[in-house]
Amino acid sequence: MRGRWIPLLGAFWHLNLAEELQYRANFVASVLGTLFSMATALLTLSLFFHHTTSLGGWDYWEIVALLGVFNALTGVIEAVLRPGIGQLAGEVRSGELDLVLMKPVDAQGFVSFRRLDIWRFTDVVLGLALAGYALARLGRMPSVAQLAAFALALASAAVVVYAIWVVLMSLAFWFVSVENIAVLFDAVYEGARYPVSAYPGALRFLFVYLIPIAWTTTIPASALTGRLRPEVALAAALVATLAFVLARALWRAAIRRYSGASG
Amino acid sequence: MIKRYAALIRNAWLVDLQYRASIVLWLLWGVTEPAIALGIWWAIAGDGSVGGYARADFARYFFAVMLINQLTIAWDSWYLDRWIRDGELNYRLVRPLHPAHEAVAENIAYKARTASVILVVWLLAAAAWPAVRLPLDPGRWALTAVAVLLAAAMRFFISFTTGLLAFWTTRATAIMELHAGVSLFLAGRIAPLALLPPAVASVAGALWFRSMLAFPVDLLTGAVHGTDAIVRGLAAQILWLGMWFLAYRIAWSRGIRKYGAVGG
Repeated sequence: MRGRWIPLLGAFWHLNLAEELQYRANFVASVLGTLFSMATALLTLSLFFHHTTSLGGWDYWEIVALLGVFNALTGVIEAVLRPGIGQLAGEVRSGELDLVLMKPVDAQGFVSFRRLDIWRFTDVVLGLALAGYALARLGRMPSVAQLAAFALALASAAVVVYAIWVVLMSLAFWFVSVENIAVLFDAVYEGARYPVSAYPGALRFLFVYLIPIAWTTTIPASALTGRLRPEVALAAALVATLAFVLARALWRAAIRRYSGASG
Repeated sequence: MIKRYAALIRNAWLVDLQYRASIVLWLLWGVTEPAIALGIWWAIAGDGSVGGYARADFARYFFAVMLINQLTIAWDSWYLDRWIRDGELNYRLVRPLHPAHEAVAENIAYKARTASVILVVWLLAAAAWPAVRLPLDPGRWALTAVAVLLAAAMRFFISFTTGLLAFWTTRATAIMELHAGVSLFLAGRIAPLALLPPAVASVAGALWFRSMLAFPVDLLTGAVHGTDAIVRGLAAQILWLGMWFLAYRIAWSRGIRKYGAVGG
């Protein structure tokens, strides 16, 4: 049972790919959109650095590396997570979710990964390229240990982001009308554009412990630029595991509530 | 006409009431951007000041941005894009009332609700935090109200006209996003215009961007003062409102002709 959803998702993604390839103009539009938002972010940063030489102890190119990480994660969100959640809200309201729950696969995995917006994966490539360019400008060649720590921290970041989305998806069971629940994520995720050390104390606490977005960009970027010892990546993995377990528990509770309503 | 408007606004208000949670989410989304900008400028200013702005000035500026952006923002291009693509515009066209009136009524209902929430939050914040208190100056508040009305009308026509581009292209909302990206800097959403490089700030003043948001905000906080500067700011707002109204008239009449041709 557990192994079955991999070929199933494979089939879904295959169909998805065939569908998307019909709309190749969307690829150009998506890349242009990404380049525009990256340019806006860099200009905003330049504006801040027009008036200061460091932000929360980070200099310009270090934050550019962080923006690269931010963009790469945005790509994962836009390509994988956002397409799925839009569909879910409608299914909860109309009761079509019954069909998903009856399938002999894990509902959470299925709902989260059934649809891909493949063009947005270019954001991941562009984001990592930006981070690489920033590293070159800093003149810091990361060691193998640092790169490994970065990879682990980035994977953990993706898991933390995923956990936050699962929490939001679960909330859709309580607030049925909320098709726009993803907006809540966008609002909070805005904060991940800058290192947490730049924020006043209360916000920093919020971002590290309550809505753990500090772990999504600040920690991987710190590992990459060598601000933190590589071992910190292990802590990131721990946080990611914890976030995943909590989110999974909430999802289960939400599903129970849904069944309760229909039966 | 007043009776019709009252009915439209009541209707929009009741529709919004069903989607309370959604409205709260959009409200939250709207205040995060200025809140984060404030956090960053707060850190940069430290105990000194940046370009004449100390921490308290930034706090007042971005609280005013939260309120006035909410009062002037218009989502109409997204609605129009959908109306035109899905054909929802059809039944609106056969009504004996121009669809723009429904859009205006929706704007009034939405803004009344969200802006009053922000106003209450601001008052509560001001009670505890002197930095965000505004001097008691009814004359200035009245002038700001006029500037906000002009800005709201202009942003409505910008959004509505851009939405009408959906008659010709499927990327009308992308054009609106582009405009939003530019206005991040030129309308003063990320920083007071005084902190932009002078060349950029002058572009903002020469186009309609300053009139959209920065001017009413600066008027409220007192950064714009003197009869001359105030009159010039208001005149620019009226001028650009007129231009965008004209653009709307042209886009509407041409677009409707084209739309009819497709349907019949």
